[in-house]
Amino acid sequence: MARKLLLAALAVAVVGALAAGAVFLGLFERSVVAKEIEQPLSAEQMKALAKRGAYVAVAADCYACHVVKGGAPWAGGLPFETPLGTIFSTNISPDKEHGIGNWTRAEFHRAVRDGVGKHGHLYPAMPYASYRKLTADDVDAVYAFLMSREPMKVANRANHMPFPLNIRQGLTFWNLVNLSSDTKSEVTGRSALWNRGRYLTDALAHCGECHTPRNLAMGMKESAYLEGSELEGVIAPDITKAGLTRMGFDPLVFASFMKSGISAQGAMTNQMFEVVHFSTQYFTNDDLAAMSAYLFDLDKLPESATPPTPPKPVAVSAEVAASARASYIAVCASCHGMDGQGIPHVVVPLATNASLRLADARNLNKVILTGIPAQRFPGLERMQPMPGFAGQLSDQQVADLSNWLRANWGGQQPSVTADEVKRLR
Amino acid sequence: MTIATKQLSLTINDKAVGPIDVPETMMMQDFLYEYLNLTGSRMGCGQGICHACTVVLEKADGSLEEMRTCITGAHWFAGRKIRTVEGQAKRDANGAITELSPVQQAFIEHFSFQCGYCTPGFVTGATVLLDQLRRNPVKREALEQVITEALDRHICRCTGYVRYFEAVRDLALKTPGLVKA
Repeated sequence: MARKLLLAALAVAVVGALAAGAVFLGLFERSVVAKEIEQPLSAEQMKALAKRGAYVAVAADCYACHVVKGGAPWAGGLPFETPLGTIFSTNISPDKEHGIGNWTRAEFHRAVRDGVGKHGHLYPAMPYASYRKLTADDVDAVYAFLMSREPMKVANRANHMPFPLNIRQGLTFWNLVNLSSDTKSEVTGRSALWNRGRYLTDALAHCGECHTPRNLAMGMKESAYLEGSELEGVIAPDITKAGLTRMGFDPLVFASFMKSGISAQGAMTNQMFEVVHFSTQYFTNDDLAAMSAYLFDLDKLPESATPPTPPKPVAVSAEVAASARASYIAVCASCHGMDGQGIPHVVVPLATNASLRLADARNLNKVILTGIPAQRFPGLERMQPMPGFAGQLSDQQVADLSNWLRANWGGQQPSVTADEVKRLR
Repeated sequence: MTIATKQLSLTINDKAVGPIDVPETMMMQDFLYEYLNLTGSRMGCGQGICHACTVVLEKADGSLEEMRTCITGAHWFAGRKIRTVEGQAKRDANGAITELSPVQQAFIEHFSFQCGYCTPGFVTGATVLLDQLRRNPVKREALEQVITEALDRHICRCTGYVRYFEAVRDLALKTPGLVKA
C-alpha cells in the first residue's frame, strides 16, 4: 500500500516536472503571428507603409518608453522600477548591432505580439499582452516606420532582475497564464466607431496596462477591466464609463482632454502627462472620438456636452473645516482661488477637479505634499509648477485640508487620517 | 459688506508686530505693504513664480527657509519669525544703515543688478543658501550646481544672472566653512 502511494506520488511528481518543463521550453506557447508573415516585405511595401507606421507608433505610444530624456531617439534606456526589479527599455532603432536592424518582419511581429524577441523572451513591461491584439497590418506599418529611422549606436542597458526572474525563458509561465489567444478586434452589433475605440484602447494605446488592476499572476485582471489601479505610488483612476463620469467627464470633454491634457477636471500629471505629450495629442479627431465613444460605451458621440451633475458636498466637522480653511487661505487660495476656480492657462481649478472625486485620496495628498513640476501642454498652454507643502503643513493639517476639499468639491467622505499622510512623506 | 478679520501677531526683523486685525484672506505681501509699509519685497508675478517677493523664515531650530509672500496668506505667519530685505543690514539706534549684510555687499561689489526689482528676492534666496551651506558644507566641485539649483527659480530680466551667480560663488568661497576641500 505504502509502496503504491509512493509510486503514485512519484508519478505525479514526474508528470508535474514534465509539464513544467514543457511549459518552460515553450511547448504551450501559441504564436498569433500568421505563417505568411515569414514572407519579407518588399522595399516598395516598406516605403509605402512607413508613413502610416509613424501614426500607428504614436498611437501605440512606443516612443515614450523607447527613449530617455536627452537620449538618442528610439535607442531605449528608460528604467522601469517594477516591484520585482529594474528593467530597461531597449534600442529599437534599426542599428544592426544594438537595435533591430537585423530583425526580420516575422521576428518583429513575434516580439510585439507574442513577447518573444529575436534574442529571447521579453518582460511584460513591454505591453505585448495588449499589442497581441494589434492587426498584422499595423505591426507591419510600425516595422516599416522603425526601419526608416536613423540607426543609433547605443548599447542596451542590463536589467537588474534577481534570480530566478533573470531567466527570461521563465516568462513562458507568465505567458501561459496571461496571454489571450482571442485577438478578434471586432464586436458585432457595435458601431465602427465603438470598435475602433476598443482597438485604440485595448491594443494600440494599451490603457489597461496601467488602468486595469493586476491579479496574483501579475496579469491584467479582466474582471476589473479599466477599473483603476496603483502605479508607482499613485492611483491610475477608474476609466470605465462610471469612473469617468464620477471624475466629471462627459464624452466630448473627455475626447478634448485626451488631446489637450487640460480641462475643468484638471491637468494631466505623472505618466498620463507623458501619454498626452507623446501620443494622444496627435490622435486624429476621429480616433479621439472613437476612444471616448468606446470608454463611454456609446455607438456615436452626442452632439453637445452632457456634463454629469456635480457631487453633493459632504459635511465635515467644524474643527476640520476651520483647520482646512486656514490652510487653504494660507497656501492654496492665491493660485487656486477662494472658490477653487483656478486661473485659466496658469493653475487648474479645484472645485471641478477630478483628483478630489476619486475614492482614494492618495493622488491629492501626494500632490499637496510634493507638488507638480511646470508642464507644457499642446499648443501654447502651460501650467505653472505647484510647490509641495510638506514643509509648511503638518500631517494633521494635510489630512484636514484633503478631507475638506474632497468633501466640499468632490463629495467624498472625510476619511483621510494623519497617519495616512505620514506614510506618504 | 464687511471683511472678516483675525488678529495677527508675529516677529519681523527681530521686532514683535501685532496683534493687528488683518483680513483672513489677505496675502502676506499685501500685509507687509499696506499695514507695515515694508515695501522691499517686490510684487512681481503674483503667482509664486518669479520669487521677487520672498522673505526669510527664521525657524525655531535657527535654520532659514525662503517663503513667497505673494502666494502665502498673512495668517500662515502667525507666531512665526521672518526677516524682510529691510532687516538684512545692520542699523544704528536711529535706524540708519551701518553695514550691509555680506550678501548685499557682494551684490554691490559685483554690480549684480541693474533695475534692482528682483534684488530683494535674490538677497533672501542667497542668504538662505549660505545658511544651508553653513549647516551642510558642499564639495568645491558641487558649488556651482548647488547655487544654480538654489537660485534658478529667481527671475531677473536685466543682467542675465551671471553677476548674481559670481557674487554668490565668491562669497561662498571666501566665507570659511561653507565649502569642503
